[in-house]
Amino acid sequence: MVDPRMLTEPVQPPYAAEGGGLRRLAAELWDHLWPWSRSGFRHPRTQLRALQGAGLALALAVSVVWVLAAAGRLEAGAVIGWWFGWSVFEVIVRLGAKPYVKEGPWWGRRYRAASLMDMLCYVGFKNLLMGAALFLALKSFGLLVV
Amino acid sequence: MPFQTDRTMMIPQALRGLLLLAALLFAAPLVRADAYEAKLPAELNTAPRLCDYVPCAEVLPGATIFSERKGRPFYVEGYVEEGNGRRLAGYVMLSTDITDIPAYSGKPVVTLIGMDANGRFTGSRILKHSEPILLLGIPESALVRFNQQYLGKFVGDNIEIGQSRPEEDIIGLDAISGATVTVIAQNQVMMSSGAAVARQVGILERTMRPQARLLETGATPDWATLATEGSVKKLTVAPEQVGLPRAAQPFIELWYGYLNQPDVGRAVLGEAGWQNLLARLKPGEHAIFVIRSDGKESFKGSGFVRGGLYDRVQVRQGQDAFTFRDLDYLNLYGLAAAGAPRFDESAIFIIRSDAFSAAYPWKFTFLGNRVDRETGTRSFANFDSEYWLPAHYLDGGRPEVKKPAPPWLRVWQTRRYEIAAFAALLIAVAVVYARRDRLTRAATRNNKWPVNGFKYSFWLISIGFVGFHLMAQPSITQVLTWFHALLFQWRWELFLTDPFIFLFWIFIVATVFLWGRGLFCGWLCPFGSLSELLYKTGGWVGLKRFQFKLPKVWHHRLKWVKYGVFGGLLAVSVFSMGLAEMLAEVEPFKTTFLVGLFNRSWPYTLFAASLLGLSIFTERPFCKYLCPLGASLAMPTTFRWFGLKRKSECSSCKACAVGCGSQAIDEHGRIDQRECLHCLDCMVLYTDDHACPPLVHERKRRGKAGLPLTPIGANGYYIPIKPVPAAATANAATANAASGIAPQS
Repeated sequence: MVDPRMLTEPVQPPYAAEGGGLRRLAAELWDHLWPWSRSGFRHPRTQLRALQGAGLALALAVSVVWVLAAAGRLEAGAVIGWWFGWSVFEVIVRLGAKPYVKEGPWWGRRYRAASLMDMLCYVGFKNLLMGAALFLALKSFGLLVV
Repeated sequence: MPFQTDRTMMIPQALRGLLLLAALLFAAPLVRADAYEAKLPAELNTAPRLCDYVPCAEVLPGATIFSERKGRPFYVEGYVEEGNGRRLAGYVMLSTDITDIPAYSGKPVVTLIGMDANGRFTGSRILKHSEPILLLGIPESALVRFNQQYLGKFVGDNIEIGQSRPEEDIIGLDAISGATVTVIAQNQVMMSSGAAVARQVGILERTMRPQARLLETGATPDWATLATEGSVKKLTVAPEQVGLPRAAQPFIELWYGYLNQPDVGRAVLGEAGWQNLLARLKPGEHAIFVIRSDGKESFKGSGFVRGGLYDRVQVRQGQDAFTFRDLDYLNLYGLAAAGAPRFDESAIFIIRSDAFSAAYPWKFTFLGNRVDRETGTRSFANFDSEYWLPAHYLDGGRPEVKKPAPPWLRVWQTRRYEIAAFAALLIAVAVVYARRDRLTRAATRNNKWPVNGFKYSFWLISIGFVGFHLMAQPSITQVLTWFHALLFQWRWELFLTDPFIFLFWIFIVATVFLWGRGLFCGWLCPFGSLSELLYKTGGWVGLKRFQFKLPKVWHHRLKWVKYGVFGGLLAVSVFSMGLAEMLAEVEPFKTTFLVGLFNRSWPYTLFAASLLGLSIFTERPFCKYLCPLGASLAMPTTFRWFGLKRKSECSSCKACAVGCGSQAIDEHGRIDQRECLHCLDCMVLYTDDHACPPLVHERKRRGKAGLPLTPIGANGYYIPIKPVPAAATANAATANAASGIAPQS
């Protein structure tokens, strides 16, 4: 029976049952930063596993982009382009590996299955904040020129 | 193959029709946007004969002869021919020669300004601007009309945007509705340009400041101490600040300081050097030193010729600017202070004016050019650093200095009552919504006034006060501007200049995370309120039978369009903010509230009127299917903290879904928070025991069983009746008898 209190089916990510506040927060932080999962890599569908691997490679490339930006060897436009590209890929990776989003307040423990739109909203918003933070940090150190 | 021929003929015709329609849509407003991103002659910023490139005679009527650029900042003298001679008619100045104040777009409005010999404005001409609002939203002629308000006004008057306040000696100018930031910047450009030239030519007197009484402590500080206490200051200009590629070496790095102060002067020049300098200074003269410690750019300027001005450095104090000629220059061969940096260019400049006082703060300014990396055009830019002699070198310490309030603060001060009323409105809406449970319990399916009374009142206030009066309609263009400002150049002044939009966005951000976008969109958005009020009015006046909802299948297809519009605008804005702002005309907000339905070219009026007309027959068509602002707020609404309540029976019951005007409840009774506009109709049903099927069922069951109706709990059900066991009742009675408590009769 459908639970009408949530837009999609409730799910429990592996770390949701973890007890302590700090430990759970750390697990959640890791969840935000690491879009891959073991289940994603062990998925019976080869395509999904390949996607996970490609995502890992792309993430490495994007990390290099940020390092290059920090070294002052990349223009702002290139960094934004790469970050946008990675964000699109992260949506696909997460839909395979961690297909859930939080329901309700950030301090709560309710999660639900993510639709494509949910994941777009989640990754878009998260990466906007992360990108802006990194971007501003590099700018404030004078490493990135706009 | 006649059939094929006919088809191929039809397609170009259809295309031609579309192109014609597009041309009609865009051409009408564009024909008046002559100065938008106008291409100006490359020589404009550098040519000595400025008036060969711009229509000086237009802004200084009567003048036929114009001088070369002179002074610093530059101006041109205009003369009237009289018989065999000529008479000074006034001055012409190019705003970007004088100030680099940016307007809303972040770029300056390039203005040619005329002023007569008595300091009264005689004309102005907008040569170039990058204001998107003037491209599409508001005709460029509005800015021209705004500038005409300066005609005949004296450059030394206190001229501000807003109402005149004779008691404060302030002359008010009418703003351009919807372009407040642009006109505030333009006022600064006009007044600062005029004042800079008027001071140079003697129309405006320089501010006379009490001279500093310098204290001599006898100490000989080293360079590090001088730098720490602020007696010597550094001004660094990075290559990227002037549009050059970033590099490790600065464009220029200068150190400077005030030499009249005995301790500082001796420390920097040594005893002999300082005494030698003092011997050259007359009373009322001041000396500063400048050295270049890094960079290749010369601060003296390669174009300097004997008798001319040092055109790359300047001292500014308040509104007064002090420039240096060759006679104001002395050689500086070395620095005596221990630890002084190495340098490869140096000078001592003399300020020969009583108006300068070392007791007050002043700015050392490096005047440069910035190259636009996109277009390659050069524009004037200045880089300065403030200097104020440390208090222990001044007899009596530093005097109290009242800095003029920045323009944005003046706006907040002059509109404080409206701001307070607006803030009260926002707080009231938030408080009412936070107490929605109480309101929805007081309402029933047949009488929703406990909720709707508040909601309709807020709609009316939103339309009349917020929309038409304050013109504080939030827009997707603000989201794009904020997005870009966050990444590229955050300017608080830009956002603070419109206090209503600023406060509105604080409200929006807070409420979107608390409850979702529905509170703003459904209760406070002026256009949304107008749209739904039209729908309700349509129903009340007998048009209900013509009102319709789109079939679910079409609704669920079309609701994605707004996300596409938002995504498209965001993508376009990365490449061209101007184009994105043009395309943001998909929002009919400017037409409805900012400019007015009857003040715009017909395609815009037709578009806005069509949407409003359609709103009479179907609820909020723009909000549901087109609004990019709604889409941008819907995305973070995915993570709103507190949603609306549901019961498990909602999955099979359709009572709420049928009545949901925003069609946000799906076939399983789930509310899509991204689409919900918080009308609260479903929440009214949630606790209505004559409308909510589970409650109706329970009410009837209890009635038949003779059980009392307990209050409805937070979970939307009657509080259950829990029978108390008979044995427990008997024990309680015994205990009461033992304690002397008599049972109630």
